[in-house]
Amino acid sequence: MMLSLLLLPAFIMFGVSFIKKTKAKYLLAFTSFLILLPIVKLFLLPKPYNILGSYLIADKLDTYVLLVSSIVGIGVTLALLTLDKHVKVSPNAYRRFYRFFAIFWVGLIFSMLSNHMGIYWIGLELATLSTVYMIKTNYTPAAHKEAWNYMIVGAIAISLVLFGIILMYASAKPILGEDAMNFDLLLAHAKDIPSPFLFEMGFAITTLGMFIKMGFFPMNLWLANIERASFYPVAALFSGILESAVVIGFFRFSKIAMEVNYNHLFIFVFVYTILTIFIVAFLIYRAKDFMRLFSLSGVEHMALIVMFWVSGAPFAALLHFGAHAFLKPALFLSTGVLESNGKYKIAGALRGYKGFKGGVFWFLVSLFLLAIISLPPSPMFFSELYGFGAMITTAKESDHMLAMIAAVLFLLVLLSIIFYRFVAIYQSMKYEGEESEKEVYSSELFALVIFAISLVGLLLPQTLDYLRSIS
Amino acid sequence: MIYYFASIVVLILFAPILLSYMKATKMVLLFKRPISLMQGYRDFSKLMQKETIISEESSAISRWAPFLVLSPLIVIMFFLPPVVKGAYYVSFVDAFTITGLISLSTFFLMLLGLDSASAFGGMGSSRESFIAALVEPAMVLTIFSVSLMAGDLGVGQAGVNLAEHFPKEHMASFLFAGISFFILLIAENGRIPVDNPETHLELTMVHEAMILDLTGVYLAIIESAASIKFVIFASLFASLFLPFGYELAAPLAIAVFILKLFLIATAVAFLEVNTAKLRLFKVPNLLGLAIVFAFLSLITFYVLGA
Amino acid sequence: MIDFFIGLFLASLIVALFTTRLYRLLLWYSLNSLMLGVLALSIGRSIDDNAMVITGIVTIVIKAIGIPYVLKNLSQKFHFVRQITPEIKVQYAIMLVPAILVFTFYLSEPIVHMIHTNANYVAISISSLFLSLLLMMEHKNVAPKIIGFLAMENSLFLLGVTATDGMPMLVELGIFFDLLMAIVVINLLFHKEELRV
Repeated sequence: MMLSLLLLPAFIMFGVSFIKKTKAKYLLAFTSFLILLPIVKLFLLPKPYNILGSYLIADKLDTYVLLVSSIVGIGVTLALLTLDKHVKVSPNAYRRFYRFFAIFWVGLIFSMLSNHMGIYWIGLELATLSTVYMIKTNYTPAAHKEAWNYMIVGAIAISLVLFGIILMYASAKPILGEDAMNFDLLLAHAKDIPSPFLFEMGFAITTLGMFIKMGFFPMNLWLANIERASFYPVAALFSGILESAVVIGFFRFSKIAMEVNYNHLFIFVFVYTILTIFIVAFLIYRAKDFMRLFSLSGVEHMALIVMFWVSGAPFAALLHFGAHAFLKPALFLSTGVLESNGKYKIAGALRGYKGFKGGVFWFLVSLFLLAIISLPPSPMFFSELYGFGAMITTAKESDHMLAMIAAVLFLLVLLSIIFYRFVAIYQSMKYEGEESEKEVYSSELFALVIFAISLVGLLLPQTLDYLRSIS
Repeated sequence: MIYYFASIVVLILFAPILLSYMKATKMVLLFKRPISLMQGYRDFSKLMQKETIISEESSAISRWAPFLVLSPLIVIMFFLPPVVKGAYYVSFVDAFTITGLISLSTFFLMLLGLDSASAFGGMGSSRESFIAALVEPAMVLTIFSVSLMAGDLGVGQAGVNLAEHFPKEHMASFLFAGISFFILLIAENGRIPVDNPETHLELTMVHEAMILDLTGVYLAIIESAASIKFVIFASLFASLFLPFGYELAAPLAIAVFILKLFLIATAVAFLEVNTAKLRLFKVPNLLGLAIVFAFLSLITFYVLGA
Repeated sequence: MIDFFIGLFLASLIVALFTTRLYRLLLWYSLNSLMLGVLALSIGRSIDDNAMVITGIVTIVIKAIGIPYVLKNLSQKFHFVRQITPEIKVQYAIMLVPAILVFTFYLSEPIVHMIHTNANYVAISISSLFLSLLLMMEHKNVAPKIIGFLAMENSLFLLGVTATDGMPMLVELGIFFDLLMAIVVINLLFHKEELRV
């Protein structure tokens, strides 16, 4: 019953996308509001709530992530209403985009709510394959090439994840039988797994696949290239929703791996993320247009989230995740307006807004830009404080205090490079360049307002308590 | 002892039939009237009666190298695994010796080709050394891995062990070694994917280029060396990779063995009819495959025990 | 007998790494899938698991016959380049492929001490995974990349069949469904349309 309520808006969207009238696009944006309703209801039910036997279970973690993703989805569909005013897109491509968006939602709901590793993987693969076509709605040759690249690399990453899942299943099958695919049973029996090496190898391969999808170490630039080649709502979708699905998988797998062997997990993930942030910091320093800048910054924030979760500060990780999932799509959606004058004109992008709408837009975008580099009172500031504090606390119990302090200092240096670059970009956006007129439309402004409100909502004490109770 | 010497003599005398059989099979498959199986002997006797002419620019090597091409191969015939149960066999000769003797024979063939001071000879020798450099490591690895699986490093003893007790648990490495050895059989004997034994066109000859300058007795010796080499490889393949029929009574065992040789010759002939000759620079692809399979069989046996 | 089929599986994958023609690559891929299907059939028959027998038959029908046929049609419709030379030269490939094999076999060696049955099947699945990644990386054209991805799915399936005595039917159905959807998306991607605004 609950499941059909959750999937109904997606099916409605799929059906409505076949209507050929131009007014239908308002209906499509409305269906994404419909997605919010069952999720709010899910929020209010007692957890954990079995949706489909032991296959789909809604506990606090997935309802939080699902709520965040649906808000992002609403924002994206609102911004899509004025897509054709900023870029060239044919109505056919627009409708096809919505069809794949509906399939994407179905896959996402299955993967986020799932308790069964196999269903998680199926949902993730459905979501990945449907986004391939969304890149191609932009009919340039660069988009065609990037869609192929995304297909190949995405397929490799997903297959690695499945390989690791099978290995983990094989390691737990002797004690749990066919139920070894369930996350909660694995978590309960993690210490009894007969061959921990097999489990760790499976976890390493899965994590490798998930890190490739999120854009970590060897494949830093593929996300940036994809997001550059597609439209800005697609990029917002990637960074807001798809990465949430991948990250929730990482959260669940790593919880089990922490029970099996915490030291190995910590060293592996820690070294990996520091390496990633090192490379991404310098890439951000050299970025010359908005999309690349934002997608690389997204990689950096994902690395921080992963690092915080693994160092024993799940609260910080979830807060950072929520803040990033609101800020990054907002920034991506605003690039539609910021790039009205051309791709590489960073200077003067924040000038020339007239009227009430222009003023609100300009104000919100500067706030978001400053929030994403963790200036207070952005939630990112607090999450980084908590996160680094938790890292030092974890190190106090082991013998590696000095190494951890050195690592934290190194990280702060890298983050300051990013900080410097963002501030430089903000100043050039605001104070340099010519003033040219830019139009802001109300639907995208409304999307940005929604994101701002939810960001403030993250800072409320009730939300913080809820997040604290998840971990 | 009698079976030992008898089998050696029979195999040496039997060698030309095998090559003529391959040629006849190819001609039947190409809808031509086949040559008779005795053609090898007729060619041999014809060549023995011809006058032997040696070019003026060649040195003394051309006079005694043909004998040195044949003799290591005849020595190898003494080291092959036995055909009949109860026959005498030499049990301590391992893969390195056999490969070394074959490459000794190839070395003298290359010297012969260089010595004739013609452009074809030099070209043939360089191509042959190019192929031999890739074949040798693969052959050592393959025969080594099969001997390890059979439990004894000597090839004769390995053949006997495999016939008595075939290790079913090492099927995978056996398969890899078999594929590798089959590719080597084709490469070392100059059959179609690697070298065309029926042509004298400059583009396609390797073995024929080295012996282009010979006539008479020397050519007869070199041709019989080629046929004995094929018999050696075929009987190694038959005893190591198709090890059935050892336990039967003596005449039946010999008949099964000869049938296996004919089977291998038919397989090679089918492959020759259905494949085009590879470009010389594509030959390393094929031989690289043989090396990888030989290595794979060794490592699968050693690390995995499969 | 299982060892024999796994050996043929790995052998066809290695031969596919060295080939330079597209249709020959499709032939090795279909041989690969055929061996996988026969393996699933024989294991299913020996442990009396109907689900595995069914998936074995479906593998043979779809992956060994259907997909190569579809790919051949696609390559003829869209005029693929049929000569696919690897980017790594063959002399380096001769060293790289055994290096990958040694690396993956030693990676799975600790498992041999922990699982006493079927430990080497896990090792061969992992090496097939790495070798299909190599197949994807060493060609520049798109068709071998697709076949590399399909070979990777084959090695996943091999792991599922041999190491765990069959995964839950749900997961295997899901894998097939996703494979079919991947083929549909690939088909869609090939239609290059012009900019119509």
